[in-house]
Amino acid sequence: MKISKFKSTMFLAPFLVCFGLFWLAPFVYGIYMSLHKLSLTRGNMGFSGLHNFLDLFNSESMYSEAFFLGLKNTVLFVLISVPLLILVSLLLALLVDNLPKKVQGLFRTIFFLSYAVSVTSVSAIFVWLFSGNGGFINNTLVRMHIISQPIPWLEAQPFAWIVLVITTIWWTIGFNMMLFINALNGIDTALYEASSIDGANYWNQFKSIVFPSIKSVFAFVALTTIIASFNVYGQPQLITKGGPTQSTKSLIMVIQQTIFDGNNLGMGTAMALVMGVVVMLFALAQNFLTREKKELKGDKQV
Amino acid sequence: MELRKVMKTMTAAAAAAAIVVSGVGTGITEVRADDKVQIRFLNGFTGGDGGYMREITDGFNASQDKYEIVESQEKDHYLKFKSGEYDLVVIHGDRLKTFADDGMIQDVSSVYENAGIKLEDFIESAQDIVQVNDGLYAFSLDIHPLVMFYNKQLCAEPPKTYEDIKKLNEELQAKDPNLYAMGVPGLGLVEYYYMTMANQNGIELQDGEALKFDTDEFADALMTYHDMIFTDKVSPSKLGLDGEFKTFVQDEESVGGTQTAIALTGPWFYQAALEKYGDDLGVAPVPLLGNENSVYGNAHTIAVPSNVEDEEVLNGISEFMKYLYTPENLINWADAGQAPTHIATKEAIQKEADKYPLACANYEQFDNCKIAPQVYNVGEQLKYLNENIFNMIVSTEDLTKEQLMGELEKATKTALQVSEGF
Repeated sequence: MKISKFKSTMFLAPFLVCFGLFWLAPFVYGIYMSLHKLSLTRGNMGFSGLHNFLDLFNSESMYSEAFFLGLKNTVLFVLISVPLLILVSLLLALLVDNLPKKVQGLFRTIFFLSYAVSVTSVSAIFVWLFSGNGGFINNTLVRMHIISQPIPWLEAQPFAWIVLVITTIWWTIGFNMMLFINALNGIDTALYEASSIDGANYWNQFKSIVFPSIKSVFAFVALTTIIASFNVYGQPQLITKGGPTQSTKSLIMVIQQTIFDGNNLGMGTAMALVMGVVVMLFALAQNFLTREKKELKGDKQV
Repeated sequence: MELRKVMKTMTAAAAAAAIVVSGVGTGITEVRADDKVQIRFLNGFTGGDGGYMREITDGFNASQDKYEIVESQEKDHYLKFKSGEYDLVVIHGDRLKTFADDGMIQDVSSVYENAGIKLEDFIESAQDIVQVNDGLYAFSLDIHPLVMFYNKQLCAEPPKTYEDIKKLNEELQAKDPNLYAMGVPGLGLVEYYYMTMANQNGIELQDGEALKFDTDEFADALMTYHDMIFTDKVSPSKLGLDGEFKTFVQDEESVGGTQTAIALTGPWFYQAALEKYGDDLGVAPVPLLGNENSVYGNAHTIAVPSNVEDEEVLNGISEFMKYLYTPENLINWADAGQAPTHIATKEAIQKEADKYPLACANYEQFDNCKIAPQVYNVGEQLKYLNENIFNMIVSTEDLTKEQLMGELEKATKTALQVSEGF
């Protein structure tokens, strides 16, 4: 049975409507807002052209100072946390994958559980653990004579970053680990057997079988982890309040404060759009690096 | 046929979505249920004080046939206020000018008149707080200044001057090097700290519509906190967020942790301190740290949003104010540890000083209490000091006055930009 082009196109309508309503319209509206002098309390005070963007790149402007401070802090967090979030979760996945089948499910669940906990609860736990004066970690370290004076975990650098990275790893590691475990499950066990017969050790197997097999998942995990790390908000907001001296204030915190404390919706939206471009550049760079390797590999096979 | 069905369903869904969207866009101007006029009352009392405000609104509702207060207690109530529609909103005294300038709240002189309430029914500093831009923009509920808690086990009498604090510190340090007289926080109540020091040194920060921080006097006043930690060593360093209170209620099990005998802190920590120390908890005015007795505080006020025009709603608000500003009703607010500014209620509370020690300690400070200068978006103007400079002062041992002045110039520049708007 043949159906008309119009009718067949109509099957795409649910997707197009959702896409338009929930992605395209907010995106276009975001651009519109960034080009206006828009206050959360006073409303739209008129078209301002590129004023918000120019102000953002004017070093004399307080918005520029706040934005680039947030960007610097966020990029630092991305650089520290992303490699750890990927490598530790991969390591955990390999460990779980090598456990006896009977207990694999149990450990998968245990490690994934932390991901289901809200950031508020996670932050409360880590503030209690790392409180500088009388916190659990300091008490334990002093009791064990590892340190003589308490460490100001949340009050001085680099300790504050260490706490935020540890918190983030503990909280989100389960998600990446599950993706890696699924990828590992897809590897044909015959490959392991054959390589063992050929005398390959675990490292050889990882290098020549495991990693090439999970490389696409690895790239996906890297991409989503970079994006998630750029969006860091809950942990610094609840654990360090952006301190000490604004050194852990993330870009999302800056945008949130610009809009809700400063009432400057137009500037906040402009910041969000520029941040989107920065994240996209990072994602493209990551994608480019992965693709390049694929092409090289393709050339080699040919 | 099937396709037609799908099309019909989609059309219905689109129509429903359009109704929802348009409903959201137009907003709701009046809410009525059970023949009562409902008054939507938004506040941020999500802590221990929330229950006491609820007692007041429940009492009003039980007394009424015609009006009903529908109370929303929200953590981010300013955000809700900016994006929602309410008939009554609790606003901090230092924010009244910003909301008045933004046209979000209205003059309430007529509500005062209808309720039979006079401005003179409130203490003088409260009268100043609610008068903004030559108008009367709110009803004063309370003033909450910085207050001193002390642990009677470590300090029998509350210190009255900085010299007393230093003496107390010497005694405590002789007993145990982890015992200090007080704690200076790095984050949290820092605004109360530096504004108290500015007030006690007679420093006026307002310069037109902006705040000016880069003066020698203010730098010297701020350096007092630096010297308290690194020269006089009356406070441990790097105490972080709410460090003044956390150190005061330090767990005895803590190893190597520091503990303090007094805490200059907010009255909202009173219940937690009472749970920890019971009868050993003392409350007193803030000691003299500078040249004159003065303290910084903030205030809760109740304002009427500018979109409230319905006469019946405005009459309901007047009725609620009449009920609220009756000593037997407003005294519930003192049960929450707050110090109401309504004179008749204040007098009733002071007659029961044993029952309301915190409110009475705060009343002792009312004559010397100042809130933040009335400038546009004062919170944003103070932000650089709150988030950056004060922490630097209390955590950088080798900080010089010149370095501090450089930072204060940045803070002044930011405050000026905030005051100019965008």
